[in-house]
Amino acid sequence: MSKGFLIYAEGASYIEQAYALALSIQYSQMGIKSVSLMTQDTVPEEYQSVFHNIVPIPWYDAPGTDFSAEHRWKVYHATPYHETIVLDADMLLLEDISKWWEYLGNHEVRFCNRITNYKLESVVDTYHRKAFVANGLTSPYYALHYFKKTDFALEFYKSLEFVCKNWEWCWTKFAPEEYQNWLSMDLAVAVAIELSYTHDQVLDNTSPLEFIHMKTPLQGWERIDTRWQDSVLHVLNTNGDLVVGNIKQSKVFHYVEKDFITPKIIDRLTELAHGKS
Amino acid sequence: MTHGAIIFAQNSDKLDYIKLAVFAAKQVKKYLEIPVSIITDSPGWLTNAYPNHPFDQVVEVGFIETTQYKKFHDGALFAQRIQWKNLIRDQVYDLTPYDRTLVIDSDYIINSTVLKPAFDNHYDFQIYHNSMDLAEWRSNKEFTRINQWSVPFYWGTTFIFEKNLVTKAFFDLITYIKANWFYFRMLYRIEDTTFRNDFAFSVAVHIMNGKTNGGFAVELPGKMTYITDKDMLISIDGNKMKFLIEKKNYAGQYTLAKTTGIDVHVMNKMSLSRYIDGGLGV
Repeated sequence: MSKGFLIYAEGASYIEQAYALALSIQYSQMGIKSVSLMTQDTVPEEYQSVFHNIVPIPWYDAPGTDFSAEHRWKVYHATPYHETIVLDADMLLLEDISKWWEYLGNHEVRFCNRITNYKLESVVDTYHRKAFVANGLTSPYYALHYFKKTDFALEFYKSLEFVCKNWEWCWTKFAPEEYQNWLSMDLAVAVAIELSYTHDQVLDNTSPLEFIHMKTPLQGWERIDTRWQDSVLHVLNTNGDLVVGNIKQSKVFHYVEKDFITPKIIDRLTELAHGKS
Repeated sequence: MTHGAIIFAQNSDKLDYIKLAVFAAKQVKKYLEIPVSIITDSPGWLTNAYPNHPFDQVVEVGFIETTQYKKFHDGALFAQRIQWKNLIRDQVYDLTPYDRTLVIDSDYIINSTVLKPAFDNHYDFQIYHNSMDLAEWRSNKEFTRINQWSVPFYWGTTFIFEKNLVTKAFFDLITYIKANWFYFRMLYRIEDTTFRNDFAFSVAVHIMNGKTNGGFAVELPGKMTYITDKDMLISIDGNKMKFLIEKKNYAGQYTLAKTTGIDVHVMNKMSLSRYIDGGLGV
């Protein structure tokens, strides 16, 4: 059965981020290294070799809005793999996660529901997730999730499709407090879980899925109105260790700020992926 | 394998650390029932002023003229700058006569047997990260991480180590950090210019952990309970201690607090010294 990573990207900067993520997968993973890109954009030739598949967005009619949430439910239909880990483009994989595949293989759908900050402290995001808290919803992260091609998974993504296409109604029904006037995939997943009543089938507390989330308000700093890159130094060294504020980052790093990806970072990732470091 | 405790005591111009060490050593012997040795630059003062001292061995180190000064409070309303001799703690690996050593500050008052089981643990290095301020209202974030951007805080006040290659590397690393303090201070965004063992230990633990959440430093049993130098010790009676704890928003006013059977880091050394002299520490 095929396994691999799927990244969704729309727009030049996201394509570059997806390329950086694919490079990080190449050097960090001991087992599964296959990466596919789901995009409607033209991918620069120099980027193409790192992707095993570049798949078009199914049923594409128009570009998505800010976070392209309109198309993200389609990952189930676009993936070329039997088992898929979906990653947001603005992430890097820093360590081997082969063990995750072993755990996830026992399940059909799993969403990440645990994050840390760069200090590796577990954090509960009540700053950005007011609607989740106010409405008693679960707190899944679409940015890192897994599914297997099964009937259950298909049904779940059908629920997610429904929520994405009818999000205003769904918010009114399931998330009326702290109302969000935009479609966010995380809230859509939380509502889809409510709608399909699949809490125990897509979330669990023992799942290894976890990532480092670099949104500034999650870092435990007094000032939250700054960019994290202006507050702590970072370096990606020749061993592939990403050190932020002198703390070595682990597993999956969600850098959030687009300009984190610089030519220097791309060069270092390229060296690492090609075994030159 | 030999077990024992070490207390460092280097007198400064205004504080008799040896007096504090003698008192702290008696508490260790009473509750933990292990020998205690002192590392000091003033063995003459020890034998002359405290001829009946409780120390198993007296380890002499050369006199170090220090230029480090630190502001010490004595209650909420008074403070003075006093010499601070804290530069030889990294030498404990070579100086201790024991295979497994408990190191405590001279102002760490043992009142329980809570540390006893730690001697039966076969960890390389045990130390406190978790702590509890007896002033419940005060934030202890300065003792959680060395600053808001950086690594977890560990108390150099109290730790147990076993002599082996790993802990030798650890203390050598502290020596290296101390020798390059300006660099490490900048790197870890430490604002204090004076060298502080807590910070050097915290940085060294972080490095020993591979700069991530590692298992080098194992938490000692219990928690590091403390009063700051803005509070005062009133008295000690058996395993009971009485304190005056600084009141929130009322400088110079205090709340009475009592502990029973809890080891307490009495950071107000002046107050502790007054109590040892006889009478109350206020």
